[in-house]
Amino acid sequence: MPSIVPALEWLEGLAWTTAVRESAWGYPILETAHVASIVAFAGLVIMMDLRLVGLAFTYAPMTQIQRRLFPWQMAGLVPSTATGLLLCCIDPLRYYRNVFFWVKLVLFTLAGLNALAFHLKTYRMAERWDEDPHVTATARRAGAVSLVLWSATIISGRLIAYNWFG
Amino acid sequence: MKMKITLVLLAAGALCAVQQAQAHHAFAAEYDVAKPVTLSGTLTRMEWVNPHGWIYMDTKEPDGTVKHWTVETSGPSQMSRRGLKKTDFVDGMPLQVKGYQGIKDQAHANGRTLVLTDGRSFYIGSVGGPNDGADK
Repeated sequence: MPSIVPALEWLEGLAWTTAVRESAWGYPILETAHVASIVAFAGLVIMMDLRLVGLAFTYAPMTQIQRRLFPWQMAGLVPSTATGLLLCCIDPLRYYRNVFFWVKLVLFTLAGLNALAFHLKTYRMAERWDEDPHVTATARRAGAVSLVLWSATIISGRLIAYNWFG
Repeated sequence: MKMKITLVLLAAGALCAVQQAQAHHAFAAEYDVAKPVTLSGTLTRMEWVNPHGWIYMDTKEPDGTVKHWTVETSGPSQMSRRGLKKTDFVDGMPLQVKGYQGIKDQAHANGRTLVLTDGRSFYIGSVGGPNDGADK
């Protein structure tokens, strides 16, 4: 199997990735934007999840909360993913060799699949239990799983900063 | 409902406590404050990069062998504000670095003070290090 390393070395050697990697301002701004948009995204996802598990907004219809939060969640997800991809581009080998980076990617994918499954299947039948403070067990589980997976994604993302395993 | 609020507050409180305990984790996780080192040697390479820079330098051990050190510095922004420039680092130049040794890796250190041959001295430590006055 051909290694991806030469491609990553090429990416790392580009003028613009090198410039951001060595910059006094570009990198701090990029990283701050990444974290700020994650905070906005995660906060809004947590509120949706708390409704699903029955801890918050229990007497407001579930679909209404979803409709109101969803565009704002995407307004957090799009810039956080874009800045995340940029951060990968400017220091690709560092992330390639970091175990927490791969853990984060796996958790991010799982959290995304959980959200997708909820929207495509469980949420389709939401009218039946919309006004009910206690949503169906499947939806409640989706909320709990979402809370755990997104938290774990953020924690492993933070741990990328530590060189514990080389 | 009261029960739920109490639970949420308890969870939030526990999170804050964890946060407090780890506020200075970055330094303590990797470096030993009980092992200060002063390294005098030659620069083999400097990586002027975010989020932290790296000084690679060789020192001569008392027994004549050469030790290859990896010294973590602060980032380009912090070093620039202290008056350092990327061009201050020239491969092969002599330099002195004071800092703290790594917990696991014996040739790994957290840099605090950099002294150049022209006598100029710079703080190259990052936030969260020990209060040793190096940043004054």
